[in-house]
Amino acid sequence: MSGLLIRNAYVIDPLAGIRGEIMDIAILDGKIAEGAGSGCEVIDAQGCLTLPGGIDSHSHVSGTKVNFGRYMSPEDMRAGRTSRRGVMHVTSGYSVPTTFGNSYRYSAMGYTTVLEGAMAPLEARHTHEEFTATPHQDMMANTLFDGNWSVMEAVRDKDLRRTAAVVAWTLAAVKGFAIKLTNPGGTEAWGWGEDLHSIHQQVPNFGVTPAEIIGTMIRANELLDLPHSVHLHCNNLGVPGNYQTTLETIDLAPDLNSRRQSLYLTHVQFHSYGGTTWRDICSKSEDIARAVNNRPQVAIDMGQIMFGRTTTMTADGPMEWRLYMLHHNKWSNHDVELETGSGIIPVYYSRKSLVNCVMWAIGLELALLVKDPWQCMLATDNPNGAPFVKYPEIIALLMSRKFRDKEGEKIDPRTGHYVPLFSLDRELDWYEIAVMTRAAQAKALGITRIGKGTLTPGSEADVAIYPLDPADLDPAIDFEQVMAGFARTRYTIKRGRVVARDGEVIVEGANSTVWTRANVPPDMDLSADREFVKKFEQYYTVRMRNYPVQDVYLPRGVRIDTEVSP
Amino acid sequence: MRVEDVVCTFCGCLCDDLVIETDGKKIVGVENGCTLANEKFMGDHRLKSPIRREGDRWSEVSLNDAIREAAEILLDADRPLLYGWSGTHGEAQSVGVHLAEILGGVIDNTSTVCHGPSIMAIQEVGHPGCTLGQVKNRADVVLYWGANPIEAHPRHLSRYTTYADGFFVKNSFRERKLVVVDVRETESAALADEFVRIEPGGDYAVLSALRAIVRGRGEVITGPVAGVSREQLVRVADLCMKAKFGAIFFGLGLTMSPGKNKNIRNAIELTEELNRHTKFTISPMRGHWNVYGSNEVFCWITGYPYAVDFARGIAFYNPGETTSVDILRREECDACLVVASDPGAHFPRACAEHLARIPTIQIDPHVNATTHLCRLQIPVAVTGIDAEGTAYRMDGVPIRTRKLFDGDHPSDTEILERIYAIVKEAKGA
Amino acid sequence: MTFVLITGRTIVQGSYVERKSHPDYHVEASALHMNPVDMLEHDLEEGSTVLVSSDAGKVVLQARPSTLLQRGELFVCLGPYANHLVGPGTRGTGMPDFKTTAVTIEPTDDPVPGVAELMRRCGGVPYEG
Repeated sequence: MSGLLIRNAYVIDPLAGIRGEIMDIAILDGKIAEGAGSGCEVIDAQGCLTLPGGIDSHSHVSGTKVNFGRYMSPEDMRAGRTSRRGVMHVTSGYSVPTTFGNSYRYSAMGYTTVLEGAMAPLEARHTHEEFTATPHQDMMANTLFDGNWSVMEAVRDKDLRRTAAVVAWTLAAVKGFAIKLTNPGGTEAWGWGEDLHSIHQQVPNFGVTPAEIIGTMIRANELLDLPHSVHLHCNNLGVPGNYQTTLETIDLAPDLNSRRQSLYLTHVQFHSYGGTTWRDICSKSEDIARAVNNRPQVAIDMGQIMFGRTTTMTADGPMEWRLYMLHHNKWSNHDVELETGSGIIPVYYSRKSLVNCVMWAIGLELALLVKDPWQCMLATDNPNGAPFVKYPEIIALLMSRKFRDKEGEKIDPRTGHYVPLFSLDRELDWYEIAVMTRAAQAKALGITRIGKGTLTPGSEADVAIYPLDPADLDPAIDFEQVMAGFARTRYTIKRGRVVARDGEVIVEGANSTVWTRANVPPDMDLSADREFVKKFEQYYTVRMRNYPVQDVYLPRGVRIDTEVSP
Repeated sequence: MRVEDVVCTFCGCLCDDLVIETDGKKIVGVENGCTLANEKFMGDHRLKSPIRREGDRWSEVSLNDAIREAAEILLDADRPLLYGWSGTHGEAQSVGVHLAEILGGVIDNTSTVCHGPSIMAIQEVGHPGCTLGQVKNRADVVLYWGANPIEAHPRHLSRYTTYADGFFVKNSFRERKLVVVDVRETESAALADEFVRIEPGGDYAVLSALRAIVRGRGEVITGPVAGVSREQLVRVADLCMKAKFGAIFFGLGLTMSPGKNKNIRNAIELTEELNRHTKFTISPMRGHWNVYGSNEVFCWITGYPYAVDFARGIAFYNPGETTSVDILRREECDACLVVASDPGAHFPRACAEHLARIPTIQIDPHVNATTHLCRLQIPVAVTGIDAEGTAYRMDGVPIRTRKLFDGDHPSDTEILERIYAIVKEAKGA
Repeated sequence: MTFVLITGRTIVQGSYVERKSHPDYHVEASALHMNPVDMLEHDLEEGSTVLVSSDAGKVVLQARPSTLLQRGELFVCLGPYANHLVGPGTRGTGMPDFKTTAVTIEPTDDPVPGVAELMRRCGGVPYEG
């Protein structure tokens, strides 16, 4: 029995409808409880904003391409390094920190759960190995299906059940959490050095379009009753004028699930560009936000960029090539047989670049223009838009018009001509920030069912206690304190244990990996299906028996079981 | 007992389709393996017990005493070097990195004398690569440059290139052109549609010439380059540009020859140039079955793929300074732990001499050249035979190796964890 | 005459990687592959012992004809014999010049040392167990 009592906390718990109350929170055996038992440890949280542990619903922190980002970037490793100290291991890296670096820095910010944005199934074992070395966050992996041959063949055959069957087999085999589509169809085209430029263009050799893949996968996702929705990185990322593609894509989303969205669009900033070239690129955040506001079945994350150095990495291989053709610094690419692609290049987002300034404004505009914070989550597509350590600064920008105007003075003076940002008065409040950094993520990912994102009794005792007193601070003015407060919790509590205090991690971690198993009827079991098995015998270079991720890679796996909808 | 889909722990191909027959104590049959695999699985030449040297005398010691002495040697050292790692599983590599971290030592893997220069080049210009299945299913042109797969990666051609039929290349042998570039006319060269023979040390110049032609500046080449005729250069460049999917595989012929990392940089930049015309990829032919795994594990823990120095508390990396050969040449380390490799055989003599001078400990299943240089050797199980764990194929695909039976020896992980525990306690950490 | 020494893998060397005390490993690793014309010019036959010298050291090897090599090129598979000739300098890369060591050769009556003997010369103590 290990009890902990947090006293006099200023609690915001959106999923429980608590919008700012002074209260005590009791923890017992890793769960939020009615009482903490006698002789329990007590934390005085007077004057401290206390929230459920932060959840990042889209971040690149583990796996093949992330590690390649480290491998190819000693200059980034040198840019952020700490010594071994207490229980903390050595860390390296600024935009692509080592696994322990990611874990400690997230922990210092009060984050206790992170979704890895892209895992190639063939290389899943690698992602899980790095999850184990990211000890202070519960982890889960978006699983890439954008160029999956079996999926595309089933979609071409208009066979929804078979599409779902491929997803079910793969998620169970690689211990993945959700369906990720990155530039659907485009990553297969990139196998020939091509890309797709519209959601209605056919994938070479496969006779399907991105629109068909997206539409079928949304239905397959619901057929399997997966906790999360389809998680989509739209086609045409980063292309001027791409907002049309994004709007067309949003139009594809049916409303099929009463508990959450039916389509999650990620890093939408990169998909909200007007204009025709880099010279006349402009913000179309208003059009995108209007579409989101009109469709409760859609949720997005910002994909905010912040000025400075970072590393871009994505399964969207053709996009990285285009970006490389602009930057000409260094380029890595890694296509994965029968499944997907990937690319990496370092970038520097400059205040002196008008294009970068427009991008910066668009992300903020999306958060300010989407009316319901449950539909727009705070994220940078870490590290693509910026390393996640910039979240506190983004929070401060969203909470303070004054801060936005101050930043606006430092950027390319023409920016205001291309973006509506500086005419927006909205300043988000503490509650909205709490929604956008944990509650909305828990709902969107469908992990409230395992006790994530809230402080109601019975939930996972993941708590972030910030040195921020909402009764005393005016975030519109005190943005410096807001930034500092969100950057470093007084206490971060993970599964009932204080893991970080004033930015220092003080215990060895023991995270969980959350994955999904959709239990399918015999007609949907592909393990002995002739066509499916043939893929392994003839085209993969790994035997089918050596493909699944063994249980040993998830020392503390948490499985969410689902059943096929009747 | 017959075990199917066994993973071969010899070279970076990491073939996972072997069929092994065991009698529960040893291996009695191997199917699908190459010569190297057959030797690996059928051979049984283990060192039986830990051995220790005092003066000129070797004697057996107990495992407990050997582990304690190993920890004491490491604790006593001011600048320990932990070298090797490519012949063991990732879990053991991970313990090794944490051991180096707590000791404030240097940890390095065999990349240092194989594809270290490739890594340096990738850190300058990146790496356009792919998994091997992309090549098998799509490539209509394959180049081996300074690589001799017939001898070093015997099944590379049959699993991934010349003899491997794929989805878009139904008859690989006929539809896929093979180019071999080398200073020697190797057995691999004998198979090539086009063999390009380069004078030793001429790789950089030939790569530059090909880049010029691909860029449309072929006129700058007026005669042969490093022994290669202009006609052949134009023919090869043309073949590459007309490919639907081309793949370059390069070996130590590029990394060890004059130019070293700059050769690789030039090859990568040629690949990048070709991507402006078609699809092209480039991949190093990694030697040890899990050398790439050691790069991966080092990276996610320390940020660097090899040659990591913890002496300043932080992780520090500077090839040429923190690389094993340089540290040994400067007679800088005062103890060495060798795990799963053989620097006695594979480092220049001057390095072997320093290994003999200092207390060197070896953790390895077999007697090798390093054995004669060390003070202490602890035999362990062989990963893929009587131990299991994670390995990364030359293209980054992670595969779990299989344990075929219970042997007499503990695994590398077990030994290293025990040493780590003693060191950790002594350090009060 | 100066030769350029190239090292590299061979399948026999690879096959004996776990048995470096075996006589067959000794034969393979100490084989000095030469162009036959060069052999003729130096009065060498297959199996002749040759003292090979570089700036880094010297070692006795056994000549073996190879038509894969051009004149002036020598090949020894990677291993302890070749490494008696390769210098430890890395030119700031960590990688010695394994592929282009300048060497000279002369006939000798000295025998080819075994692997353990080579290691003894490096300061080690042969383990014969």
